[in-house]
Amino acid sequence: MRTSLIRTVAAVGAAALLTLGTACSNEREGASGSDSADGKGFAKDSLIGVALPSKTSENWVLAGDLFTNGLKDAGFKADVQYAGASTTVADQQAQISSMVTKGAKVIVIGATDASQLATQVKQAKDEGAVVIAYDRLITNTPDVDYYIAFDNFKVGQLQGQALVDGMKAKKPKGPWTIELFSGSPDDNNSKVFFDGAMQVLKPLIDKGDIVVGSGQTDIKQTAIQGWKAENAQQRMDSLLTSAYGGKKTLDGVLSPNDTLARAILTSVKGAGKPVPVVTGQDSEVESVKSIMAGEQYSTINKDTRKLVAETVGMVKALQKGDKPTINDTKSYDNGVKVVPSYLLPPVIVTKQNAAQAYANDPKLAPLTK
Amino acid sequence: MTPTRPNLLEMRSITKTFPGVTALADVNLVVREGEIHAICGENGAGKSTLMKVLSGVHPHGSYSGDIVYRGEQVRFHDIRASEQAGIVIIHQELALVPGMSITENLFLGNEPRRRGAIDWKTAQRRALELMEQVGLREDPDTLIKDIGVGKQQLVEIAKAFAKDVKLLILDEPTAALNEDDSRHLLDLLRGFRERGITSIMISHKLNEIEAVADTITILRDGRTIESLDVHGDGVDEDRIVRGMVGRELASRFPDRTPDVGEVFFEVRDWTVRHPASDERMVCKGSSFHVRRGEIVGFAGLMGAGRTELAMSLFGRSYGTWLSGRVFKDGTEIRLKTVADAIRHGLAYVSEDRKSIGLNLLDDIKTSMVSAKLSKITRRRVIDPVREHRVAEEYRQSLRIKTPSVDEGVVKLSGGNQQKVVLAKWMFTDPDLLILDEPTRGIDVGAKFEIYRIIQQLVAQGKGVIVISSELPELIGLCDRIYTVFEGAVTGEVARADADPEVLMKQMTATKKSRTP
Amino acid sequence: MSRITDLQKNLFGGTTSNARQFGMIFTLVAIVLLFQIWTGGLTLTSGNLIAVVSQYSYILILAIGMLMVIVAGHIDLSVGSVAAFTGIVVAKAMQEHDVPWPLGILLGLLVGAAIGAWQGFWVAYIGVPAFIVTLAGMLLFRGGNQYIGNADTVPVPEGFRKIGAGFLPEVGPDTGYNNLTLLLGVAACAGVVWREWKARRTRLEMKADTAPLWVAGVRLTVMLGVIVFATLRFAGGRVGTSLPISGIILIVLVLAYSHYTRNTIGGRHIYAVGGNARAAELSGVKLKRVNFFVMMNMSVLAALAGMIFVARSSASGPQDGLSWELDAIAAVFIGGAAVSGGLGTVSGSIVGGLVMALLNNGLQLEGVGSDMVQIIKGLVLLLAVAFDVYNKSRGRFSITGTLMRPFRRDDPPGTAPVPAQAPDADTAKVAG
Repeated sequence: MRTSLIRTVAAVGAAALLTLGTACSNEREGASGSDSADGKGFAKDSLIGVALPSKTSENWVLAGDLFTNGLKDAGFKADVQYAGASTTVADQQAQISSMVTKGAKVIVIGATDASQLATQVKQAKDEGAVVIAYDRLITNTPDVDYYIAFDNFKVGQLQGQALVDGMKAKKPKGPWTIELFSGSPDDNNSKVFFDGAMQVLKPLIDKGDIVVGSGQTDIKQTAIQGWKAENAQQRMDSLLTSAYGGKKTLDGVLSPNDTLARAILTSVKGAGKPVPVVTGQDSEVESVKSIMAGEQYSTINKDTRKLVAETVGMVKALQKGDKPTINDTKSYDNGVKVVPSYLLPPVIVTKQNAAQAYANDPKLAPLTK
Repeated sequence: MTPTRPNLLEMRSITKTFPGVTALADVNLVVREGEIHAICGENGAGKSTLMKVLSGVHPHGSYSGDIVYRGEQVRFHDIRASEQAGIVIIHQELALVPGMSITENLFLGNEPRRRGAIDWKTAQRRALELMEQVGLREDPDTLIKDIGVGKQQLVEIAKAFAKDVKLLILDEPTAALNEDDSRHLLDLLRGFRERGITSIMISHKLNEIEAVADTITILRDGRTIESLDVHGDGVDEDRIVRGMVGRELASRFPDRTPDVGEVFFEVRDWTVRHPASDERMVCKGSSFHVRRGEIVGFAGLMGAGRTELAMSLFGRSYGTWLSGRVFKDGTEIRLKTVADAIRHGLAYVSEDRKSIGLNLLDDIKTSMVSAKLSKITRRRVIDPVREHRVAEEYRQSLRIKTPSVDEGVVKLSGGNQQKVVLAKWMFTDPDLLILDEPTRGIDVGAKFEIYRIIQQLVAQGKGVIVISSELPELIGLCDRIYTVFEGAVTGEVARADADPEVLMKQMTATKKSRTP
Repeated sequence: MSRITDLQKNLFGGTTSNARQFGMIFTLVAIVLLFQIWTGGLTLTSGNLIAVVSQYSYILILAIGMLMVIVAGHIDLSVGSVAAFTGIVVAKAMQEHDVPWPLGILLGLLVGAAIGAWQGFWVAYIGVPAFIVTLAGMLLFRGGNQYIGNADTVPVPEGFRKIGAGFLPEVGPDTGYNNLTLLLGVAACAGVVWREWKARRTRLEMKADTAPLWVAGVRLTVMLGVIVFATLRFAGGRVGTSLPISGIILIVLVLAYSHYTRNTIGGRHIYAVGGNARAAELSGVKLKRVNFFVMMNMSVLAALAGMIFVARSSASGPQDGLSWELDAIAAVFIGGAAVSGGLGTVSGSIVGGLVMALLNNGLQLEGVGSDMVQIIKGLVLLLAVAFDVYNKSRGRFSITGTLMRPFRRDDPPGTAPVPAQAPDADTAKVAG
């Protein structure tokens, strides 16, 4: 009994040493900072990491699929990861670290909380990976190389304008009563959307043409934690009870995206109020249906396909050692530096132009007919 | 009574052994139809084991002997089988769910059903019938916790009727009841007899047995001593007591020449309230004292308040202290916490070593030092060498049978576990050890060794209080014995005068022999 | 069979109670080897090891406190919320009130102590079950985090980030390694040798049978090998990296708490309370004080873990601490603690936590999605505890015994239940 045990222990030990031995080389040499970011490029079949938030919206799922296919088609190895549903931030941090360990040359990050990734981004940078912030700007770190997104300020402006247009179409004369919603406070874009919209709405509010029924115009009051539908619905429910008792009508709601827009509509319908003009964003299937049915007023078409395609394009350029295309070097300050950005123009979609806007989208096009 | 009644039950030469212990040896019991049959015996005489054999708790095959019930040989494999045959046992600890109503409890596991759902209407109606049968007048929707123990007992009996009982077994039915409730219960049993229901009653209360039983079977040390016909044989309490305790005492105790010194520990007027009830007193003005080098016995039946007295003394670990003072070596001491008690040289070895005496997850050495860790620490860090050495010393001096003091206490036999507990308290250097049922559940050989340890302790000038339900043990061991009944000290007997019958009378009879 | 248990005891210095820990060490080694092969050697690279340590150190710190809570027979569901609450308080204090970061850390610990005192008070002195108190705390402090932080993300200054993302500085001559880490490794080796020698001397003093010298030799060699390997890995990472500071904090805590739980009166009392509260009380243990202490200690460690996470994330955010309690509790149970309290060790919990961490890491390196990772972790937890329960129901632990059972003819099944009946005899005698 004893000898056999010793033999087992010895065998296990030997196996362990062998495996360890293969990995036993000092890694100090390979660590020479961020040389690959400029100019030299890297192998064509390198690993590209893509870290996305948890699968809470269709767009992220779609983006993931597009990245997987797009990067593979371009000859890269793709590692596309979603954060877990409950431990989003910590998960994403760990995933990025793993990508760095695996030697990813470019890491595309759709951040769950854009200000809590500084350490991982630095780690990536130190190991020579290029970091591209996708859709959400990573803040408080000098180590982000590029930012690619739709022009979110523009998105806000379009939403604000659509809200005004929609209300005018329904009720030509003001004053109109509206409510404001904004996105999750931990998402850097929320403020950008809101500011864009307010650039349009603020003058009208000041003039008295538009009245915010509840008086809640501060972004802290209007924010919806985690972009969650249930939170939006709760807020709308309580607004309706507190500010819209009796016959007071609500003409419009500024909603930063489709998920929230539908939650707001559910709440309004539940309260038995007439459907107000509600904006949106992301062109989610349900919202496009809702627009075609005349409920939600507008959405924004930020074609995820285009955004992913542009991002993959950036990666290709980096691989060759070229500088990727940039069209904005001023607007996106992440608190430490101004991040070179590539911005895509968003398109506003209402019932009128839906068919035309989604003509190329296999999933949405049929809905508009 | 007509002597020609047929036998309902015959248990023939039942023998039941546990590893190391013979609980029942060749026991015979004959119960005739329609009688009240009392079973008497000291704690540990085998009464409960016998009933467990009968009811299938110890299934057929785990004992030898035959059970003939209603003329047929029966083999019960579990309680369900015996209940199916109409044998229902009512334990001392009632099996009722406190948060459920009387009706719900009556039909728990046996609910009348209609189309898959419980038929509450039928249940209510039948509950009222059953309650009528046991003379319980109460709203059937009342929760069990809201009625007194006496009525709970009745619910338990009514439950037996719901199962169509032929033979009702009551284990210490009046132990927890007051006099009125007890009387009512005994009347009820007589009523059952009229209706032809047979009862077996296990009881310590000899006056009750004398009043109600038709036949008495006495067990001692797992053997049937005799079966008495109350109506024919002219039985009285003395007769029963003699049967219960009449055995040789001499050889069971080590020799000892008492060397008793001065009184050093004294308790005056100790009064303690029950933790859950404002009116019930668990100790009523008890006073007693202990001398150096003296073994003092506390005799009393289960539930008499002996343990409560000891635990309330030991750092107020039981009930609410109302009044009473404690003196040690002439000065008053305050024992508000267990730590106080230990500091003042008290040690309490509880009656239930498994649930409150030991941490069964510990190993032997950890257990032994656990009540006074400060003795083996330096700047609150435990010195493993000293811990081990201490444990080894006790292992040898107490002759604890174990390969190593690193073994878990759970692996030890009852006697060795008890020695570990004794070691744990000897380690605290006590002046007064209170040993609550120190030999319970221990075989004869280990008992002898425990007695020897106790004698060694008093030889060192310590005082020892022994609480025990076994009178021969107290008589054989103690220099002086206090009797306790219903929370009060009812008498004090010196060793020379100690006699089981005298003690038993003081422990059971209520008013006649109480001394102030 | 007993030879094997002897050997197991000798090699791992254990008693019967940390039998599962022994099993878990094997599991840990197996997981490491499996992923080392599977990921083509990535698991044991310097970069990855450093990343794993800094990623999971805060969960392991929580596991230390949770072990003590669970041993005492309680549970703490609020640790994640307490961590998040502390994080936001400290971040705000440093950002808006310009509190210097060392004071910020102190403030965080004080906040943890205050919260712990609050929860300990309800558990120990009022007697509300810890499950309820900390469930309430979970809501309370999560809400507090959002109330104070406005559900915002608050960045923390560079100095503070050191405790979560910092490394030892590069000093001394260029050896190709991080010199301070090397020094730590040397110290660790010396410590291990000294401990082995001392343990042997203690055994001799006890006149207990010491293990044969070759066993001690094997054990020392294995341990030193592991330490040397780990040291070289951690010291040999990219320039500027070393053993992470959070890892050093973790190691210090593990050593301190292992000592406390194993060798001091306070530690003994925690086990006594968890093993049998009534018996402990009757042995003079101050039950309330012990319960208060474990709950308070847990919150202080949760506060520390929260700060480390914030430092690592460089900002305090509204999602900090989500479901950390589950990770910590899982680590403790995988590491051999009993659900009913009284059993478990700090080192076991750390091993349990490492099993989870390396599993997570390995699967991520393999590109397995977080959905599958959660499923696998769930199964590991279930199997680890089920294994323990199964063993307990069979009397006691014995891997080899379990493996050999079907082949042994001299061990008829009838003999097994005999010891189980011994207690029965007692009750039978008592009740009669």
